[in-house]
Amino acid sequence: METFAQSLVSGLLMGSLYAMIGIGLTIIFGVMRIINLAHGEMVMLGMFAAFFSQKLLGIDPFLSVLLLTPAMFVLGVAIYWLLLRKIIPGGELNTLLYTAGMSLLVANVALLAWSGDYRTISLSYGLAPMRPLGIAIPAALAIAFAMAAAITVALWLFLSSTDTGRAIRATSQNREAAILMGIDVERVALFTFGLGTALAGAAGALLAPSLYLYPTVGELLVVKSFVIVVLGGLGSVPGAIAGGLLLGVVESLGAVYVSATYKDGLGYVLFLLVLLYRPTGLFGVGKS
Amino acid sequence: MGWVGGAVAVAVLPILVRNTFFLHVAILVFMWTVLGAAWNVLGGFAGQVSFGHAALFGIGAYTTIILFLKGGLAPWWGIPLGGLVAALASVPIGLICFRLRGPYFSLATLAVAELAKLAALNWEWVTNGPIGFLITTLPSLTVLGRRVDWEAKTPFYVIAALLMAFAILSTAWLRQSRLGAYLVAIREDEDAAEAIGIDTVRAKVVTLGLSAFLAGLGGGFYAFYFRYVDPDAVLNIGLSMEMVFIAMVGGLGTVVGPLIGAIFLTTVGEAVREHFQVGHLIFYGLFMMIVIRFLPEGIWGKVRSVLPGMRAVRHGAP
Repeated sequence: METFAQSLVSGLLMGSLYAMIGIGLTIIFGVMRIINLAHGEMVMLGMFAAFFSQKLLGIDPFLSVLLLTPAMFVLGVAIYWLLLRKIIPGGELNTLLYTAGMSLLVANVALLAWSGDYRTISLSYGLAPMRPLGIAIPAALAIAFAMAAAITVALWLFLSSTDTGRAIRATSQNREAAILMGIDVERVALFTFGLGTALAGAAGALLAPSLYLYPTVGELLVVKSFVIVVLGGLGSVPGAIAGGLLLGVVESLGAVYVSATYKDGLGYVLFLLVLLYRPTGLFGVGKS
Repeated sequence: MGWVGGAVAVAVLPILVRNTFFLHVAILVFMWTVLGAAWNVLGGFAGQVSFGHAALFGIGAYTTIILFLKGGLAPWWGIPLGGLVAALASVPIGLICFRLRGPYFSLATLAVAELAKLAALNWEWVTNGPIGFLITTLPSLTVLGRRVDWEAKTPFYVIAALLMAFAILSTAWLRQSRLGAYLVAIREDEDAAEAIGIDTVRAKVVTLGLSAFLAGLGGGFYAFYFRYVDPDAVLNIGLSMEMVFIAMVGGLGTVVGPLIGAIFLTTVGEAVREHFQVGHLIFYGLFMMIVIRFLPEGIWGKVRSVLPGMRAVRHGAP
């Protein structure tokens, strides 16, 4: 029972970060119908930004989120404006292949610049796990969870109660109707891509103290984030949150009760099953 | 004429060029042409973008090397069997993944490839896990009274050239066949294709079978030439991407596009590899982006539409 509670809790903590990555991917898909295969690389850039800001500038990785989130937003806006905007009219398979090329480019430039070595971030304030009710919670993951929850709530408020947030949701629901209502969908798309990229980067920085950093980590993460958004329904933000938490828990319970080596495989099997039987996601809110 | 000229050029190249490095590059070009053609059959003709072809390549590579090391079957028999096993494996993959369309199909194939890699890493009594397999000595073979020297490049060159010829001829056959016409119809509008009575699932599964056979041949040849197979080498997701890129850069849905793409990307890749350890994939990614942006029909597609003589005979042109 204690093992069960333990893996459930660590799964939920990890899942909160997966959810953040998934939200970024899903809002980009919702507004632009782009499946961004380079999303994992954006997470990787966030991880490395946190690593280098600690190593070179001495900034705590969790504080570095404040700096690098705006930077990743600008990067996302630039990628959309300079590169993707011209590709999107060519159709969804073209954008899929284009972002695949971008993913390969970014990952391998990173590999060249930083080598394939595995790096870790060590926090100056120790890693003694907290132990509420006899469950060990690694401090780094607990802080990351709290920040991820705060960011997700802030994003939720932003999407539900600001004009820009409403414009994003409107465009995501029905692009033509949004245009007719006077929404500048091109600007919404630009903003959304920046926002999605910023979320990926922030999630990367929060994950960095709990995972190994290496330039091709994005490959693993991008597949996980597809699993998440397909579970929750492509285009749905609550779906991505639920999908992220679910994947975290499935992986964590799977590692304990099925097999540690096959834990990543469980996610893929779940993914294929959902794609086949519930292509609109477990909650039936996704778009095909 | 072009066909004959190309065949003659491939035949005399190893006689004129003795430099091992150039022969090595030529062998890689031929191998990648087979793989690019494998992807092109499905992605270019039928418009089904697969990100999972590394799984089919890996199945071919593992089949060839396991049959040799555990069953004593010489690799030149193992290569076609590798293609066959990959084609058989593709049937259930196709029946599952083809229930999905567009990007969903692509994502499903990505998951299949990841599962295949995981299986190879953990199914140790068959695949030897992460360690993989190594061929130390190839069996002796006598052709026309002469013993083949496996330390030289020429025998591999000949085998790779034959595989490439097979890949190009099967693409050419597909192009003029009834199935080829079905695939183009599916690519342009799947609902309309179904409405006029095409069994789209069957057409796609058969095409995936051919595609898998070619990918498996390429994988078998890889095992034979590099004499080394492990999950990272033959089931890497990067391999799937390289196949996509070769077909795309050469020209989707064309017969000789994969050869052009393979020449272009392999020479660039090998030239870069001389200077950097990992740099070639940077250029693959970059070219991919440039081609989609500025040359969506690919190099060969562009050449074909620009050359005045070729426009008139478009239907008969390679």
